[in-house]
Amino acid sequence: MSEQKAIFEARGIEKAFPGVMALKGVNMTLMPGSIHALLGENGAGKSTLIKVITGVHLPSAGTLLLDGTETQFSSPRDAIAKGIGVVHQERNLFPRFSVAENIHLEQLAAGYLKPINYSALNEGARPWLEALDLDIDPATPVSELSVARMQLVEIAKALSLQSRVLLLDEPTASLTSSETERLFTILRRLRDGGTSLVFVSHKLEEVQEICDRVTVLRDGANACESRSMDGIGRHDLVQMMIGRAEGAAAWRHRDTTGQPEVLGLSDVSTSLGHKGVNLSVRKGEIVGLYGLVGAGRTELAKAIMGKFKVTAGKVQVNGKAVTIPNVASAIHDHGLGYISEDRKSEGLILQHSVLANAGVPIWRKLAGRFGALRDKRIHDAVLPYLQKLEVKTPSLNQTVANLSGGNQQKISVAKWLAAGVQFLIVDEPSVGIDIKTKAYLHELLRELADAGTAILVISSDMPEMIALADRIVVMDDYHITGEVTNSGVYDDISHAIMGLIHDAEEDSGAVVPLKEISV
Amino acid sequence: MTIQDINSPPGATGGLSRTRFFLSNEFGLILLIIVFAVIFGLSARGFLSPFNLFTLGRNSAINIMIGLSMMTVIVTGGLNLAVGAMGVSAAMVCGWLIEGLGVPWPLAILGGLAFGAALGFINGWMVVRTGLHSFIITLATMSIFFGAMIFLTRAEAFRDLPAAFSAFGKMKFANYLSPLLLVTLAVAVALAWLYRATLTGREMLAAGASPAAAELSGIRVDRMVILCHMLSGGLAGLAALMLVARNGAAIPSMAGQLGQDWLLPAFLGPVLGGTLLQGGKVSVLGTVLGAFLVTMLSSGLLMLQVGAFWVQTFLGLMLLVAVLLDKARRSYLARRNLA
Repeated sequence: MSEQKAIFEARGIEKAFPGVMALKGVNMTLMPGSIHALLGENGAGKSTLIKVITGVHLPSAGTLLLDGTETQFSSPRDAIAKGIGVVHQERNLFPRFSVAENIHLEQLAAGYLKPINYSALNEGARPWLEALDLDIDPATPVSELSVARMQLVEIAKALSLQSRVLLLDEPTASLTSSETERLFTILRRLRDGGTSLVFVSHKLEEVQEICDRVTVLRDGANACESRSMDGIGRHDLVQMMIGRAEGAAAWRHRDTTGQPEVLGLSDVSTSLGHKGVNLSVRKGEIVGLYGLVGAGRTELAKAIMGKFKVTAGKVQVNGKAVTIPNVASAIHDHGLGYISEDRKSEGLILQHSVLANAGVPIWRKLAGRFGALRDKRIHDAVLPYLQKLEVKTPSLNQTVANLSGGNQQKISVAKWLAAGVQFLIVDEPSVGIDIKTKAYLHELLRELADAGTAILVISSDMPEMIALADRIVVMDDYHITGEVTNSGVYDDISHAIMGLIHDAEEDSGAVVPLKEISV
Repeated sequence: MTIQDINSPPGATGGLSRTRFFLSNEFGLILLIIVFAVIFGLSARGFLSPFNLFTLGRNSAINIMIGLSMMTVIVTGGLNLAVGAMGVSAAMVCGWLIEGLGVPWPLAILGGLAFGAALGFINGWMVVRTGLHSFIITLATMSIFFGAMIFLTRAEAFRDLPAAFSAFGKMKFANYLSPLLLVTLAVAVALAWLYRATLTGREMLAAGASPAAAELSGIRVDRMVILCHMLSGGLAGLAALMLVARNGAAIPSMAGQLGQDWLLPAFLGPVLGGTLLQGGKVSVLGTVLGAFLVTMLSSGLLMLQVGAFWVQTFLGLMLLVAVLLDKARRSYLARRNLA
């Protein structure tokens, strides 16, 4: 492969933002017919580099070479025209537009005044959706899709551009393992067709599975120049990314069988379509709720929190049957908490300060006479947790929107630590956060459980689930299909879980008996 | 940018916050007020006379109150087109309580304010229950409230109000200060305290900034929206009662047809003052300064014998220029990483 010519090359790229040098002379070489991993921690400069390559940012210095000749992208459109496609980390879809309109956004009609031929548009979108095994009517508005499906539509859109270089910034962040597998099959097919792919992910298992070349960034510079993945192991990658070896934070056996139940659901149905859901979380226990995207996990969490109605069955908190009329009651009366998977719109108030965000759930507790609320008290109450999570911010008065994704996630977790709830639902805790923070977060959740908090973890990330949970409950199509006691052995548990999902899918429609599988 | 930085208590960043103040909206408004005061003081005869200062204070007291009434709803990311209709209705109820039922005037005032808040409750409740934007709801209730009020009062004014009313409107401290202005400033201080240092105020801001996040953090967003509308109704009622004190009578047409005369001052104050129309961010001081600037400009221009219609044109232009300037200021701050 070494005698092949590079399709794209970035040389000595520098990018300065006000007050920050985001890239300090980065090199990257992309080969045709290869999947290239771009690795680095949050803030290492991956997204900035991608934005430079795709024409979003103009580099402050350095050159870009396409097929060996120097080039410049004046705009993202220009880059697309020259064969560089991208799936950005942030969603870039228009929620009110249909799937087909989003996919063909660059070319809706032949001319400015020509009418749009919608049936042709929908037909044109279908192959790209089918390529991803995505069973969606192209005329559906994007706003009606789940987060994961939006991600897949975005990938379909990038595929439709038929780019020679395709950059994917954390494409698997909200996908389940089966969706990820499907995506990988397609990526391999593209690679074999000669496309040069760039794959950004925090999940090293995936990187090792699919990538053949790698570039690692650390603090805006190359920790490793573009090279082949041959002979590079997970430890080497981590070492390059964080500059030292990875601290082991593996699963450990925790026994909570003697503890009292904090939250119990028996035969619960909800207005969203859950039927006969049984779930029990004990004090100090970490229960995983695994399922494919769209299985109804987040919805169940929100129903527990009182956002949606429980129409039948019994909800028990500390052994007492309760009816939770709204989220405020769940938090303030029953001590339940929910860390949303969608931190930007549900987890945080982006335009408010760090301090204002971190304190919201405890405001009522801290308010004095006449509802007076003093910044000093909030500050003292939340600071230990922000420090514990190593939130990096110039000051607590900083607007949250200006912080990096990882820091935002830390704040949305810190806020619930400060709230001191007895039962915490954590929805996709590590979407978009780096290895160091992820390991730290896992350890933190374990500590929290050891201190007596009952935790329900929702995740589509199998390794994460197996690293964290004591017990894994599997949900499919708004039903609980079974549960697995975690032994920490990846292969056994992942087989057991996938078994529970596929059994349910094979005889879909039929009522699936609840099974207990011990491994 | 290390962890040590977050150890410093809030407000300890002296140097930076001072720079920030000089770039703030409020500082810009103070500067404009001084500049125009000097211009008018030099060019318009009688602008700085005690009598003109008295009327200026009295008029700005009412305009500021109208601006504050709108501001409390803008906090939720909505708006209240019915401010005028609600205010006048509340004032008419107060007049009816006094003249029709013989209720003592202090109680009648409370009754009027409560009625304003009740109208606000109707607005807020409908916004929450229907999920429609407050623009639509208050556009409808503006006509409903005003029409019902005209029907019930037969478009007749209450003129036999106790002398205390007009006496209060005419009262002067030190020959030029109207007590109405003091009432307004007291309300402004109370609102500033509400948003800065109380649970309810914080919850209103959070609910306005991001309803979804606020709800999942344990805030009763619905209640907060209703409460904001009730506050708006009460303040609109207060503004109308101040107008009654100035006029010496409760007149159905004192805010124009459908109360529309109030809309420009209602929006000018908060928008000039830097209250975010998307909700979640508020500047009470800015609203006060903005509404004051607008009142002063109209007064000064009229004294320079610029025609009344030109004054309207000028105010409209000013709204546009202010918004553009604010946009420039914001992007400057963003580029310097100050905000």
